[in-house]
Amino acid sequence: LSKRILVADDSETIRSLLMSALEANGYDVSVATNGTETYDKGVAGEFDLVILDQLMPGLLGLEVIEKWREEGVDTPVIMLSGVDDDHTVVASLDMGALDFVRKPFGLTELLARIRQRLS
Amino acid sequence: MQGIEFVRATVLVVFSLNALLLLVLIVGKAIHRRISAGLQQRRSLYISLLSRHIALPESELNLGPKVGGDRAFLDALIDVRNNVTGPESDALSGVVDRMGIATAAARRLEKGVFLSRRLRAAVALAELADVSSAPVLMRHLSDRDPAIRIQCARGLGRIGWTPAIDAIVGRFKLETPWVRSRFADTLVGFKQRATWPLVAYLKINHRFETDGPVSAIHTLATIGDDQAVRPLIELLAEARDPEIRIATVEALGALGVPLAIRPLRNVAKTDDWRVRAKAAAALGDIGDGAAAPTLAAGLTDENWWVRRNSAASLASLPGGHDHLYAALRSPDRFARDAAAEALADVGAVMGARQRQSTGEATGDDLVLIDLIESQVTVTS
Repeated sequence: LSKRILVADDSETIRSLLMSALEANGYDVSVATNGTETYDKGVAGEFDLVILDQLMPGLLGLEVIEKWREEGVDTPVIMLSGVDDDHTVVASLDMGALDFVRKPFGLTELLARIRQRLS
Repeated sequence: MQGIEFVRATVLVVFSLNALLLLVLIVGKAIHRRISAGLQQRRSLYISLLSRHIALPESELNLGPKVGGDRAFLDALIDVRNNVTGPESDALSGVVDRMGIATAAARRLEKGVFLSRRLRAAVALAELADVSSAPVLMRHLSDRDPAIRIQCARGLGRIGWTPAIDAIVGRFKLETPWVRSRFADTLVGFKQRATWPLVAYLKINHRFETDGPVSAIHTLATIGDDQAVRPLIELLAEARDPEIRIATVEALGALGVPLAIRPLRNVAKTDDWRVRAKAAAALGDIGDGAAAPTLAAGLTDENWWVRRNSAASLASLPGGHDHLYAALRSPDRFARDAAAEALADVGAVMGARQRQSTGEATGDDLVLIDLIESQVTVTS
């Protein structure tokens, strides 16, 4: 059974890039376009991994993780964000994000990180 | 009777014209919306195709010959390329090459008639940052349109085209403040490579103009290259223009090299209070205790800003607090006030009050509390 990944980003370009790359590598991909939708999908569905943007309309990425943890949703998260100030990086990792990848990013490298996290 | 007929006819004509105008506006808006929706749809499609091309490098990107000139494709290409690095970015550079996209944009910039089209071409070239576009971008640094000049400079900066540095610096004196500040942003992107061209420009031009050299000095300060310190010290000794002197003093503070302490101490005695005030702040920015005596003297300056900056700088210097506490007992009321305010800003009053409450206050603590309370009383 292929692993399920949720790609949460308000940028159409990022969603499209990740969807193409992840599907080409055999993953089952869902997408969310804002923080609220991401939260809802995370609560409703079982995902093996979430690739989460920080700056999204509705809820910020960090707020989504916080709310999930309160609800007992402990899906592994890789943050993918253009916001790379120390506070956001540290807060993401403190909240249990597995990794923090900065935009612009290398797709091949991100895929390797995902493979490693799901292995 | 004829008058009524005339008024009626006039009202009818005005009403018809207004109705026609409204109709034109409604139709125009509908057409614009349709065009925008079409652009958005094509953009989404191209993003999807480019994403697949990146994800599956063996897949062909079969696009018609006219696609390269489609605004939606250009937007999609730029957007995707700005989000990826490494081999994926290289793959998209290959697309740019194969489809002759940079060449086509360069042609639109050179030969286009409408400004909007030429500007879009310049933005595309700046975003694509393809080295083959450098000569065209260099030529249009002197374009008649300022927005195009800015985009050309930005593109050359993104390419990292070193010969552009001299050309951009050379245009400082010709440009408006807006264009100059955007040019300065580009030069900051070149980092240390822009230091000596800026220094050379300053050496020649500080005698003849103000705005250009001031921008150049701010740019040097932002780049933060220590190699600019000596030339700026020389400039401070030579320049007579007060704006240039003020900018130079600020830059020396921002660069934070102790070599600048002596010249800054000298200008702290100059006649122009603005230069003295900036020198006091700059000495604090450098943060070396050797500046403390000069700053202590600044506490009795006739100008409030000089006193204030001297006190604030002393508060941040090693050993500076001793001078501030000594100034609390100065016969000069203004020096006392400046010192007390600076100590209050760094939390010394709170500490003094805590010690007072436990009976451990020193003489300095009590003087400071007295001064602050008397200031509060005077103010209220």
